[in-house]
Amino acid sequence: MKPTHSLLTLTLALTITAVIWSCGTNEAPAPEDENELITTVRLTFTENGTTAPLKFEWKDLDGDGGNAPTTSRITLKASRSYKVDVEFLDESKTPTDNITDEVREEGDEHLVVLTPTPSSLFTYMATDKDSRNFPIGLSGTVATGSINQGSLRVQLRHQPPVNGQPVKNGTVAPGSDDVNITFDVVVAP
Amino acid sequence: MKNSQRVVRLFISLLFIGLLDFNKVHAQNTADCDCFVKGVVKDRETNLPIVGAVLTIKNTSKVATTDTEGHYKFDRLCQGNYVLECKIIGYKTTRTPIELQHSAEENLNLSEDEVHLQDVEIVARRVTSLTQPSGSLQNQSLEQTRGQTLAEALQKIVGVTMLQTGASIAKPVIHGLHSNRILIINNGIRQEGQQWGSEHAPEIDPFIAKRLSVVKGAAGVRYGSDAIGGVILVEPAELPYTTSSLRGELNTVGFTNGRTGVLSGTIEGRLNKWKGFGWRVQGTLKNGGNIRTPDYFLANTGVREQNFSAAAGYRSLKLGAEVFYSQFHTNLGIFSGSHIGSTSDLLNVIQNGEPFIKADFNRAIERPNQLVNHDLLKIKAYRQFSGHRLSLTLGRQYNQRAEYDLHGPQAALKPALLFRITTLTGDVVWEHKPIAKEITGQIGFSGLHQYNFTDGRPLIPDFEQSNAGAFVIERWIRQKWEWEAGLRYDMRWLQVYRFIGQTLDQQNHQFNSWSGTVGCVFNANSHLSVRANFGTGWRPPSVNELYSKGVHHGAAAYEEGDETLRPETAYNFMGTVEYTSERFRAEIGLYHNFIQNFIYLKPQSEPILTIRGAFPYFKYVQTNATFSGADLTSEWNITQRWEHTAKISYLRAYDQAGGDYLVAIPANRVENGLRFKIGKVIHSHDSFISIGHLWVDQQKRVPPNSDFMPPPSAYHLWSIQVGGDIILTEKQKITWGITGQNLLDTAYRDYLNRFRYYSLEQGRNFSVRLKWIF
Repeated sequence: MKPTHSLLTLTLALTITAVIWSCGTNEAPAPEDENELITTVRLTFTENGTTAPLKFEWKDLDGDGGNAPTTSRITLKASRSYKVDVEFLDESKTPTDNITDEVREEGDEHLVVLTPTPSSLFTYMATDKDSRNFPIGLSGTVATGSINQGSLRVQLRHQPPVNGQPVKNGTVAPGSDDVNITFDVVVAP
Repeated sequence: MKNSQRVVRLFISLLFIGLLDFNKVHAQNTADCDCFVKGVVKDRETNLPIVGAVLTIKNTSKVATTDTEGHYKFDRLCQGNYVLECKIIGYKTTRTPIELQHSAEENLNLSEDEVHLQDVEIVARRVTSLTQPSGSLQNQSLEQTRGQTLAEALQKIVGVTMLQTGASIAKPVIHGLHSNRILIINNGIRQEGQQWGSEHAPEIDPFIAKRLSVVKGAAGVRYGSDAIGGVILVEPAELPYTTSSLRGELNTVGFTNGRTGVLSGTIEGRLNKWKGFGWRVQGTLKNGGNIRTPDYFLANTGVREQNFSAAAGYRSLKLGAEVFYSQFHTNLGIFSGSHIGSTSDLLNVIQNGEPFIKADFNRAIERPNQLVNHDLLKIKAYRQFSGHRLSLTLGRQYNQRAEYDLHGPQAALKPALLFRITTLTGDVVWEHKPIAKEITGQIGFSGLHQYNFTDGRPLIPDFEQSNAGAFVIERWIRQKWEWEAGLRYDMRWLQVYRFIGQTLDQQNHQFNSWSGTVGCVFNANSHLSVRANFGTGWRPPSVNELYSKGVHHGAAAYEEGDETLRPETAYNFMGTVEYTSERFRAEIGLYHNFIQNFIYLKPQSEPILTIRGAFPYFKYVQTNATFSGADLTSEWNITQRWEHTAKISYLRAYDQAGGDYLVAIPANRVENGLRFKIGKVIHSHDSFISIGHLWVDQQKRVPPNSDFMPPPSAYHLWSIQVGGDIILTEKQKITWGITGQNLLDTAYRDYLNRFRYYSLEQGRNFSVRLKWIF
């Protein structure tokens, strides 16, 4: 009979242990933390020879879904040259998180691509370079064409190495979109 | 007419045997009808004797029942071939062929009793349902799947397919239903991870199992909520309570594709000092690299796995207790080429026809990847008293899933998503004493408490839930009929803690439902049996269906939950006809599963505009859906050496309310196998060679404009297997096997692979398996 008793005691002890163990692990729920949110894309155009920058923003402050994003229309003057700077911000955080610096730091695996449609709208040339001498595209120059209107697609391509081998080659193809948005553009007299 | 023919045949054969024996054994020709069959009936799992099992010798009037020690005996049988049938409520009916014929020369020195006596030990298997269709893998069929994932192995069972996310992640699908709609019972405990995710593979080491079985169709009464599509049972072997010495096995498997290596070992024994104490320790290691399709390698598709389990228990006739602990740990690489940021990325890959990212073979696992841990502690105890059996099962599971995105400049070390879910389960089952020796049954209560934390990007909120259920199942066996009926009531309380901005918002839900089942088996004769079952089951909406809100990466879809969703209820009709003869066996199963309030993602007309462009917009909505189909299997021993097997599964799923087909339903398929038993070759016994062919149709039943690309074309796959046993000593044996899958290196895509947009399926894959039993 002895093994029976000791066994029952053992079972009971284990049961109690299991129950006690289960009660001690409660913790309070914590808010989500989207650690890589980009809410705002800001383009700053500065006409050569002037000091008054023109700022245009694409904003979705509550992230994906919810309220629809807002976009400002880009208005530029025909046949001019502009210096352009691209910024990526997370304005849902206080203070605002500027992601641009991180993109620049990791320039070897990022590429900003500006694609005007129609292509005669303007020409864009990146002026910054990564360590392998490929463009990053956060800063560049824009030369507008004649009076026209169309759109501008802004892409932030994330092109991280695959199996340790860099894939960034200066073209849009490798990697995936971190940002892919479109502005309306007017090239006015 | 038939009976008289049989008598004539028996007479002739007896005469023939008599003539043969005449010259050799004078003393025995008068004793031809003095043969005995005796044996013992035992439970396969517990190894305990079964009392009151009814044994019949087919085509005779002889009946015997087992005594308190499980023994039975038939006497005064004539020489000849018989079928011994063993029936008991709650167990699957077994039919064992017996040969009451002695080989005169070899038996000359034996006493009369021994010559005419056959000792037949029957090992009966307790079944979860007599009337519901089921399938299982054990012994050789399980052996051949060693090294594969749980879902890959289960595909061998007709009606079971798999849902893949690339080459490394696979989930089982039963009759078109998967994830939250099927239950996995791992060693008697309901597996609780993050089942809702289609890229969340079951966290189970298949090497734990001695047997993998699938109960098809709604099994809500015995298993509770969620089992509306079926149940998968992962059953380990019984602890060695009776075997005297230390024993174990070592499995090694190597695959050419991915250069995957698997090593798994088990050691078990019993304590010699204390009778009835047994123990087991088991562990598995797996390491694989990039998988190759016929045309290219898939970057970052390696896998690592380290699993461990230990069990110890005590058993006597009256009571028993067992403690089991297991740890599952995996690191799964996710194909880099599947990472997309926007819909235009996805459309570009589809247009390109092959991935933009090319790779060579590599074992390194980089981002994106998943690190998953699953711990299970189980305590089980039972007591038997005057024909009753009371058992208590407690379980504690902790599942941690860290998903690392390729994405993001900020997420240096933190996972993009981290889920931590803890689940406590408790079950009490009372199996009552048979009533009038014909009715047996069980009454049970089960409880579950669970809490989940999600960190990282918004996907599902934190939640806490509790379940309580009670059930009763009764079985009645009378002559050719076996009946089964059951009823269950379940309640679930769900508390959701979500943040709206920085403020905590608590939502409470309560769901409850009845489930029922009724079924019968009619054993028309020794060849033919017919089974019918009607079962219901229910599934409360899961947290992702209620609250998810965001872009599903990889699926390129914006998915939105609905907090007002109601539970799904399944009404499942199943009918099975089984024909068994000496050389041919066939089973046809038909099913019709009607699911009321079926929850699915419905495409919305307007896309959602995000920082990564426009995504198609899907909302969780409810409809009434039907899943109707047929499963067919046959085994035909053409000759002593040649065997043919066939499996056909057909399924048609329809959205009744929407008047259209449902998405992501497995395509119909036909599988054929031809096996040649070579026998002994050099040192290898029971050697065989088999060739298999699988044809999977194109899924043509899809709603229009429901997908980024049309479902992939039909495909044919060929496979080959060779194997056998090398007996080393009385106790030591090596089982070997070589398998070639996708022999012709066919380039194909499967509709149920979520990465079909990005890449081809695996190419040719040879594997070598060695199992050393000591």
